[in-house]
Amino acid sequence: MKQQVSALMDGELFDDEAEALLDKLKHNPGADGEWRTYHLIGDVLRHPDHAYPGIGTAVRERLQAEPTVLAPGRRTGHNARWFALSAAASVMGLALVAWMSLQVGSEPPSQMAMLQQPIAVRPASLPGNKGMSDYLMAHHEFSPRADVQGTASYIRTVADQ
Amino acid sequence: MKPAWFLAVALWACAPAASADPLWQDDLNWLKTMVVAARQTDYSGIFVYQYDNHVETFHISHVIDHEGEHSRLNGMDGARREIIRKNDQVWCYLGDGKAKRVGRSGDRRFPAILPEQLSLLNENYQIKQTEEGRVAGFHAHAVVFKPRDVLRYGHRMWAHSDSGLLLKAEVLDERGRVIEQNTFTTLTLGGNVDRSWINANRLDSAPPDQAAHLEDPPEVESLAGASGWQVGLLPPGFKKVIEMRRPLRGKKGPATHMVFSDGMASISVFIETLDGDRDGGHPGLSSRGAMQVYSKVSGDYLLTVVGEVPPRTVMQVADSVRYSGQ
Repeated sequence: MKQQVSALMDGELFDDEAEALLDKLKHNPGADGEWRTYHLIGDVLRHPDHAYPGIGTAVRERLQAEPTVLAPGRRTGHNARWFALSAAASVMGLALVAWMSLQVGSEPPSQMAMLQQPIAVRPASLPGNKGMSDYLMAHHEFSPRADVQGTASYIRTVADQ
Repeated sequence: MKPAWFLAVALWACAPAASADPLWQDDLNWLKTMVVAARQTDYSGIFVYQYDNHVETFHISHVIDHEGEHSRLNGMDGARREIIRKNDQVWCYLGDGKAKRVGRSGDRRFPAILPEQLSLLNENYQIKQTEEGRVAGFHAHAVVFKPRDVLRYGHRMWAHSDSGLLLKAEVLDERGRVIEQNTFTTLTLGGNVDRSWINANRLDSAPPDQAAHLEDPPEVESLAGASGWQVGLLPPGFKKVIEMRRPLRGKKGPATHMVFSDGMASISVFIETLDGDRDGGHPGLSSRGAMQVYSKVSGDYLLTVVGEVPPRTVMQVADSVRYSGQ
């Protein structure tokens, strides 16, 4: 378990192993402390200069030494005029929303569907083999994939559009 | 009490070191077997190539005889596309009816994986045999190449459990989603493979009209970093494989071509002078599955970067190409 936590922190676990371990940590109340201890150990090892033993006590002592402010806070209250104005604004806002929903409701459905589609930025697909195939073929000559995949690795260079 | 405690700690410390090495060797052995199997197995079958919503089917054969290796890749949809390979000679037929001979440097192809490539792979990927399953009706082992950063894609390769032949290859993005895959759907292994195409497609016996269209392979001149071009911000883990000057079809002057590899993926940088017959083409990024092409005009030069790596990687390379020669 400890080894696994350490491996997870170093990013050496595969996704499925990491998920299984995180699950285990969630269901094991003692593991929480272990997790924190490992991070603390890691932090101290990486930045020994920043490690202050007993920092909690030091902060508490400083806080106790701070003077307590006894002055009353400022009263906050709404002016009647501002209240009336903001009420009027709310009514207008409501009317605007109602008007907008009417407008949107009368839009043709196809346009609605178009609006809801997520906007994805995608690179253009490769232009046909013309012009590009020389680059792809020249590139392929030195592709390490050909060692594992043999002739099938040429597929990328001759694929149709 | 004390000795027992010490022993426990010592055991705990030794356990990972003792278990990691054979495991790593085992995962690596799969890779070595795959490389040998790709060279030495007789097979033929239907192979599907898929990315985004694009699906394409190919017929593929590979035969070993007294002359060496023969291999054919044949597109089954659309215009005729065919690759024929005999040892390290490659011919390519595209839809225009012309055959072209594609040069290939024979000296870097070995039937085994090179130690330098293995150490590069190990630097950039965690290699692990993960699961077992069935591909095209054959029992297969999956080997995962998990990238150590986001500058390269992940790979999951399914190897035939008996021969080690690659049956299915998937390319994974940083979230583990499949962005491209190649897989056999049917496969015949061993002696029953059809060999009739070997002589039927021989180029020395090709009909004269076809032979007339046969173009010679481009002359490639190897350079040892003498071009003066450099990639300032080469993504970590990539090493230069070769640098050369080569002509590109339909272009006047030769282009400088540099190749970088991280053991699994490779990046090509092409640098051409812009002149009357080169207008800069279509600058920008274009992609096909895992393959990215990014080109830009820089001063009097057209830079084209090609690689099976994420867009940010090709763009970083293209944006940091500079000339530092005389």
